[in-house]
Amino acid sequence: MTDFSEEDREAICDMFRRLLADQASEEKLREIIETPSGLDKALWQQMAELGLTGIMIPAELGGIGGSIEEVEALMEVAGASLYNGPFISTSVIAPILLSAATNTEFVSALLEDIASGEKIIAIAGCGRSGDWTKSPEVSAKQNGSEWILSGSACFVQHARNADAFLVATAQEGNVAVFYIPKNAPGLDIVEHDTDDKTLRLSTVDFDKAQGILLEGVGEEQFKSATQSAIVALAGEQAGATRQIFDLTIEYLNTRFQFGQPIGRFQALKHMAADLLIEVESASSSARHAARALASKAPNASMLAYLAKFTCADNFRKVSADAIQLHGGIAYTVEHPAHLYWRRAQTGQWLFGSSDRFRDLYLSEMETAP
Amino acid sequence: MTADLKNEVEVWLTEHWDPEAECELGKGEYDEKSWLKKVVDAGYAVPTWPEKWFGRGLSPKDARVIENAFQKHKAKGWGRDRFHLGAITIYKLGSDALKSELLYDLLTGPICCLLYSEPGAGSDLAGVRTRAVRDGDDFIINGQKVWTSNAVEAEYGMLLTRTDIDVPKHQGITFFIFPMKQEGVEVRPINQITGEDEFNEVFISDARVPARFIIGELNKGWFSFQTAIASERLIMGQGITSRLRGAAGKTPALLKLAHDHDKLNDPVLRQEIAQALAYRQLNTLNMLRAKEEVAKNGSSSLASLGKLAMSRIQHGEARISAKIIGPQVLINETEDSRNANFDAAKAYMNSIGGGTDQIQKNIIAERVLSLPKSTDVSRDIPFKDVKSS
Ligand SMILES: Cc1cc2nc3c(=O)[nH]c(=O)nc-3n(C[C@H](O)[C@H](O)[C@H](O)COP(=O)(O)OP(=O)(O)OC[C@H]3O[C@@H](n4cnc5c(N)ncnc54)[C@H](O)[C@@H]3O)c2cc1C
Repeated sequence: MTDFSEEDREAICDMFRRLLADQASEEKLREIIETPSGLDKALWQQMAELGLTGIMIPAELGGIGGSIEEVEALMEVAGASLYNGPFISTSVIAPILLSAATNTEFVSALLEDIASGEKIIAIAGCGRSGDWTKSPEVSAKQNGSEWILSGSACFVQHARNADAFLVATAQEGNVAVFYIPKNAPGLDIVEHDTDDKTLRLSTVDFDKAQGILLEGVGEEQFKSATQSAIVALAGEQAGATRQIFDLTIEYLNTRFQFGQPIGRFQALKHMAADLLIEVESASSSARHAARALASKAPNASMLAYLAKFTCADNFRKVSADAIQLHGGIAYTVEHPAHLYWRRAQTGQWLFGSSDRFRDLYLSEMETAP
Repeated sequence: MTADLKNEVEVWLTEHWDPEAECELGKGEYDEKSWLKKVVDAGYAVPTWPEKWFGRGLSPKDARVIENAFQKHKAKGWGRDRFHLGAITIYKLGSDALKSELLYDLLTGPICCLLYSEPGAGSDLAGVRTRAVRDGDDFIINGQKVWTSNAVEAEYGMLLTRTDIDVPKHQGITFFIFPMKQEGVEVRPINQITGEDEFNEVFISDARVPARFIIGELNKGWFSFQTAIASERLIMGQGITSRLRGAAGKTPALLKLAHDHDKLNDPVLRQEIAQALAYRQLNTLNMLRAKEEVAKNGSSSLASLGKLAMSRIQHGEARISAKIIGPQVLINETEDSRNANFDAAKAYMNSIGGGTDQIQKNIIAERVLSLPKSTDVSRDIPFKDVKSS
């Protein structure tokens, strides 16, 4: 539950918006994605100084003690400029998993390092299916007091920039989560050539690598972290959807053909009106899901799944139609529309497909009291 | 406050309403006028309005407490401040004198019918040709209306008329609250594709309406009409015309249907059912946000999306119902088939009535998104020179 007032939330969003306007313009994003790391480390440090990396970490450990509602609001801001840092992994999923662990001393130190921006954590959450609701493909074996991990995690974001990983493993049908530093022997990162250059994806192989168990973190805690992650992603997509839509409406008002703004053509007006429903539905679903998760409402899972496929699908639909509505200009690499459209494609698969979450949404409805 | 109110309404309903017989306690049979008077007198019909106008001055949230209690007891007459378009329009736009004269009658009577559409004026309602001509303290009305829902039982209609043909169409319209039960008003029901006949043709010849029943001002009816039509679209956006809307907390009808027909294991249907239910829930969430925005800023552009969204929802749910039932939907011998076929036809009420989807899209594009207005060749010429089909 959050202690933030609506004004507080608006204030941190404004702060973040100003930072991104200053430091994460489209031009800057295009530069960053050409670098080997694909990440603006300086910006991450600035976010840490503003308290944003510790958004979900309590004040005692250097964070600012927000909830998923603040995260969702910030992600809408992030999405508008296609921000591509490891925020969901490091500042949403990791703190939730770590805070649930009972080896308190170990995790407290880590949480402090996350809040201060010192450590970036990547999450190895799924196998080849890309689906975090299915069993991971890394296994863990106990050998005396040591845990040995083997197998591969796929579609891992920000692996190259991470200082350490949290790895979801399957043990006799149950999930257990391990901490493992990037330089651990037996850990190997294979970076992939992604179609969406704004988000790097890697396969992380574990060959008898030694991990530290997050005690007390199992299926339920992993599920809860996943739900927050998908709502954070939904917020990001809702923000990105609105941004590319607004850019498109502006273009409809300024591009002239046949002696008039193209926005006067009814075919385009009707597309725009239909898209507005998708834009607003994305925002509504993400915000209500965040609110439900924060207050532990009984329908929180249902709303989280709804937000996941709605925001993913609507972002793809709106960004795809945005290209059509722009005409030839949006077929050029210089125009931003394709950046949104590609990011939308990525989001359709991260954490699991829209079809998967649509099905889970229905299952929640079936079992609702 | 809320708990007290809930208690008060519960007690009142227990003392006055028989939920088994669905009528006033002790009466044995539902008497609409008598019951509505009781509800209005108790302040439960229009709780968000001030006491002077039969309300309680409650917030919309507290008003829901009353509505919920009424629904729980299966009692009628609640929510007239949300659904009685005629009363709402008079409440918003009528003078105090007009309110004093009509409001109680309206609230204790059937809903008003909407005498807008004509054979030659549908989407382009500013093209109405029904004439209103001054005669002493009255206006004399001649013309024909069509698609008029509930005209048979209505005691009053909201009537859009032409009062000046020498000026452009929007400037010569007058809006009346019109007494239906008089000579010169002939109502002929029309058979609808749903099997119902709730809408009608209305022929008006030399009927009369007092000049003081003008809503707004002479020749400025188009402006007052905007208020009425906006309320109507808001209501439709909440989907109250749909049989499948279901009650809060109940299993969605589509899910129950799929369960009854053993289709919940079909992965393709599951996707379609989930998406249909999602569209409905998303509209609910959008309308919740609209309410929050209205409470905070006084208005919300989100509200104008509801009716259009509802079209996709209703047509979609009907289509999927048919898929769930399978070829048996061709045979109207089961309730499920009859419902699915009815719903498929009824969905057009939302996508045509109250302004078609296309008109809604024009409005959203031009008023919400501020895209340039389309040209209307009939907009700026005297009405008498406008071409018609
Ligand atoms: C169930 C039901 C109940 C109704 N109840 C009432 C009632 O109680 N009172 C009342 O007055 N009316 C009522 N109506 C009438 C309804 O408001 C009209 O049918 C509607 O406004 C459309 O007008 P029309 O039928 O003349 O179609 P038209 O206006 O002739 O439209 C024909 C087609 O042209 C399209 N079109 C028209 N103009 C444009 C434009 N500018 N841009 C793009 N496309 C356009 C329309 O979308 C439609 O597809 C009801 C209708 C239904 C279906």
